Amino acid sequence: MNGIFLSVAVQATRPPGFGLQAGLPAIRRGSLFLLLALVPLFAASAPPARLTGRVLKADTDAPVAHAQVRVEGPTLVGRENSQIIQKLKADGRYQVDVPPGAYDVWVTAPDFEEVKSHVEVKAGDAVERRFELRALQRSPYRVETLKLPQQMIGEISGVAFTPRGSLVVTNRRGDVWVRRFSDGTWRRFATGLYEGFGVVAPDEAEIIVVQRPEVTRLRDTDGDGVADVYETVADDWGITGSYHEFSYGLAQDRAGNVYASSGLCSFGRGVELPWVRGPLQTAQYLPWTGPGPVPDGHRSVAAYQGWAFQITPAGKWMPYASGFRQPLGVGISPDDELFISDCPGAWIPTSTLTHVEKDAFYGHPDGLKWHPELKDKKLTLAELAALRRPPSIYLPRGLMGTSPGQPVWDRSAGKFGPFGGQVFLGDVSPVLMRVDLEKVAGAWQGAAFPFLRGQGLRLGGMHNAFGPDGALYIAQTVRGWMSTEGNEGLQRVVWNGETPVEIQTLRLAERGFTLRFTTPMATVAGEAVRYQVKRFQYNYHPQDGSLRVNQVDVPVTAARLARDGLTLALDLLEVQPSYVYEIVVNREVQSRTGQPLLNTTAYYTLNRLQNGETKPGSTQLVAKAAEPLRPGDPARGGEVYRLNCMVCHQADGKGSPQAGTPDYTQAGGPLTRSDAELLATITNGKLPTPPAVLPMPPWGNVLPPQAIRDVLAYLRQTYQPSPAR
Amino acid sequence: MADDASPAAFPAGLRAALEKTPGLACVDFTQLGTAQVALFYRGPGPRSAAAVRAVEEFLRSRSGLVVLGATAEAWRAVPGFVPQILGAVPGGPFAGGAAMSVINLYPHPIFAGVNRFETTQPMAAFGQLADDAQMIMEGTAGEDTTPLGWVRRGAAGRLCHLVPAESAVLQDPAYQRIVVNAVRWAAGRPIPDARPAVQRTFMPDAYPGSIALTFPNGPGVCIDPVRGGINTIWDGDFVDLRPRWITKQGAPARIFGEVFYTEKAPQPLRLGSPSADSKFRFRGYVLRDGVPEFHYEIDGRDVYETITAQADGQGIVRTFRVGPGARTLWMNFEPQTGAEVTTRGLERDGAVGSFAASAGGQFVIEIRRKTGGAIR
Repeated sequence: MNGIFLSVAVQATRPPGFGLQAGLPAIRRGSLFLLLALVPLFAASAPPARLTGRVLKADTDAPVAHAQVRVEGPTLVGRENSQIIQKLKADGRYQVDVPPGAYDVWVTAPDFEEVKSHVEVKAGDAVERRFELRALQRSPYRVETLKLPQQMIGEISGVAFTPRGSLVVTNRRGDVWVRRFSDGTWRRFATGLYEGFGVVAPDEAEIIVVQRPEVTRLRDTDGDGVADVYETVADDWGITGSYHEFSYGLAQDRAGNVYASSGLCSFGRGVELPWVRGPLQTAQYLPWTGPGPVPDGHRSVAAYQGWAFQITPAGKWMPYASGFRQPLGVGISPDDELFISDCPGAWIPTSTLTHVEKDAFYGHPDGLKWHPELKDKKLTLAELAALRRPPSIYLPRGLMGTSPGQPVWDRSAGKFGPFGGQVFLGDVSPVLMRVDLEKVAGAWQGAAFPFLRGQGLRLGGMHNAFGPDGALYIAQTVRGWMSTEGNEGLQRVVWNGETPVEIQTLRLAERGFTLRFTTPMATVAGEAVRYQVKRFQYNYHPQDGSLRVNQVDVPVTAARLARDGLTLALDLLEVQPSYVYEIVVNREVQSRTGQPLLNTTAYYTLNRLQNGETKPGSTQLVAKAAEPLRPGDPARGGEVYRLNCMVCHQADGKGSPQAGTPDYTQAGGPLTRSDAELLATITNGKLPTPPAVLPMPPWGNVLPPQAIRDVLAYLRQTYQPSPAR
Repeated sequence: MADDASPAAFPAGLRAALEKTPGLACVDFTQLGTAQVALFYRGPGPRSAAAVRAVEEFLRSRSGLVVLGATAEAWRAVPGFVPQILGAVPGGPFAGGAAMSVINLYPHPIFAGVNRFETTQPMAAFGQLADDAQMIMEGTAGEDTTPLGWVRRGAAGRLCHLVPAESAVLQDPAYQRIVVNAVRWAAGRPIPDARPAVQRTFMPDAYPGSIALTFPNGPGVCIDPVRGGINTIWDGDFVDLRPRWITKQGAPARIFGEVFYTEKAPQPLRLGSPSADSKFRFRGYVLRDGVPEFHYEIDGRDVYETITAQADGQGIVRTFRVGPGARTLWMNFEPQTGAEVTTRGLERDGAVGSFAASAGGQFVIEIRRKTGGAIR
């Protein structure tokens, strides 16, 4: 009997559908991560608070399609990006459980203006809030979602165009796909890579990708549209197998050098790393000496993690610059200079964009353990601060997202609007940013603007590329960080040819700033009162990010709008280097045709004055002097306790075995210690005492010193056991 | 064997595709006992007691089984099938009947020759996938994923279950090719155009970035570009990458099958002496008809290695092509309890082999599983 015998067994009648067994769970991607992330937040027995409500079109009961609610607050610091993002269902309802605390709630939706609200909740609260969104003023930029082949998993992690215009994308499952310029068809060019995370495409038949263990050149040598050569170009840095130690890039300069980078390994859990490529160094370069746990678990445990690399056309790999935390965005400017964006955490106070020069150090010290000259120097904090180059651009948290993606320059020759030569960056949040760089006294600095927020943008915009059509293509992936539903794939931003009403450029002037608008503005733009300017700094420290410090209002002394309505000179009472300037334009400032600005806020990172000065001089503007610390106020402290402490320490102060918090009321308990000891513990945190596993987080970066005094007064007044007991 | 169903009711287009496939001969249900593979569309349905006994007998025979779109209702007459053999529990419509946004075909010989398979048909959900079920096709709608195809190689023989079973899907030549391949796989027959799969990932007991090389009929091989050798060979044609993908705290990929060969010592290939401190560099690979040729440099001397599978999937042949160089190339061997290692073209002396030809040349290492040999 030849061949395979096949028995065809036929079902006589069609079964009555699947409904009988309905309800079996399918595998939900990402849910395990969410669960893990929630455990520390709600480990205590105190109930979380609940935020609920609906998002509606203004003055109607109609829900807003595709709205997202984003909740940010200091008590979410244990979560990735310290935030919760929820995509709303069709009925516009949201429901978010949070620990007690204070939160900013941002609501965004395509084609609607963003709304922000502040809310403070106590344990067990159920706060209902209705958001009404107003239709966005018509923007000349439209966000389009590209249809991808059904067999392409949309975790798009890199995007590029070949010189002839074919679209190339990588995804985190290890594929490279090409949409051919000639007929628009997609083809899988390569497969089997280990988390491709960036791509450049010098040719239709040659594509260079960075995958986790190496930079690889893929070549199609037989012309079938599929790579047959997977050449290892460079694999000289260390990797450990940790889930969080990404290799980033790529960018290529005119000489053919390729640039990549390596992020720090997430080592917070002290995981075992038995298979490490290259040496393993788990100790910190600058050991954490404060009480409590190390604030940020990202560490350079394998060789050259936290560095940028250069790979020459001959394949020579060179460590290029150090001091990065998660240098996700690697880009080359039209001037052939390297820029890298970094994500906030320890030593990186907020998102940054930095002009990277060879051998320079950019802030995070842990990678210095691989530095040929500095690895054994044990530099102090002061020495590190002196060595550190500041970023060219600070991207302040909030309006400017939370973790920036790849910088790309508008070289579309006007196809993308009036921002030629400027930088665009995506973000893990639904934000697209614009940066106007200028070289001042030999160094790059400049202004950052929000460009799109929400408006149909999805999350996870990690890599970008301008296409031959002049549109900005954004590769998006969030798997492992947040809900993947509708948040991954490939989008493009298309300009419709109408002039957007925007601040086109914001440049440093001798007495302040010079703004140039994209369109002539009405005379009200020449009134100084229409501009609010603040300046602030960030701490350079090992804490997890930094609040704004030394913030002051900077009086605008004069505003002069040029006759053409395009150029505005804004004089300030004083201009000092080493500050970030926030410029907010009043809504009354409109174009001559009555259109308001699409974006009214800009941030200028003023590292140096035009004369090269980088150190601030004497100033008339002193940050409001911190009021002298008063004795603790138990009434105020009670409110602080309820908002921030009660979730773990309980309303009765008796603590929680699950959270590992002590019983304040017990004789011989923590309140027998001195005020100085307790203030230090609250300020700096404390490692867990076994069998507890959760550390007491440091509150010094969240609560002002007076609030910490107040809460201690409350503890003593409310829970201190009497000596007689 | 009496049969109460009409063979004509089997989806006609698919039946025609099967009947015209060289090497396949279709018989109807009455000849079930003679078949090497049974293909069920959803399930046997209501049948006579004798027919049910025949199905049960067939399932006990360890013959191959391919099922399209199984439902509990269609297997009601064979109550042991769903809990013991299918490998997952059928549920309701997946994602409320929404179309798949992604259909992911995992590297597997069943997809040989299929460049693209797409459908907007609603799918049934399946849950509780058995631990030994290898998911080969997965669908995504929104944030939910569901298995659309899996294989098992257990006590009941080879099973392949493919969830898509709507009539439009069954008319798709690409899907018909998948079904034909599944029948061949279930029969243990070679699948035309099936190629090895190459995947870099984080493998167990290997440096990160190691390569899972799996052959259509087995075995699976873990090549470690850091250590510079083969860390593991297992009896299987698949490596499960989902542990790396599904959660943020990614675990190593999962090997399906018994391991019969392992190496651990650093850098088996050396130049000058068996213990020389030679610099090993992995330089990538070239695919020739889907078969990778790996490129290494040992102190700058080029060495190329092609790994092929023995026909029965119980071993591999490592063919080394060595570039010119003055110093002798040494290969260190580790003792193996689960496999026989033989060489050709190497001067073998116990645990070491040497290749002295300065002009370069070729040598071969064959690794074959010992009968019953397994390490774990």
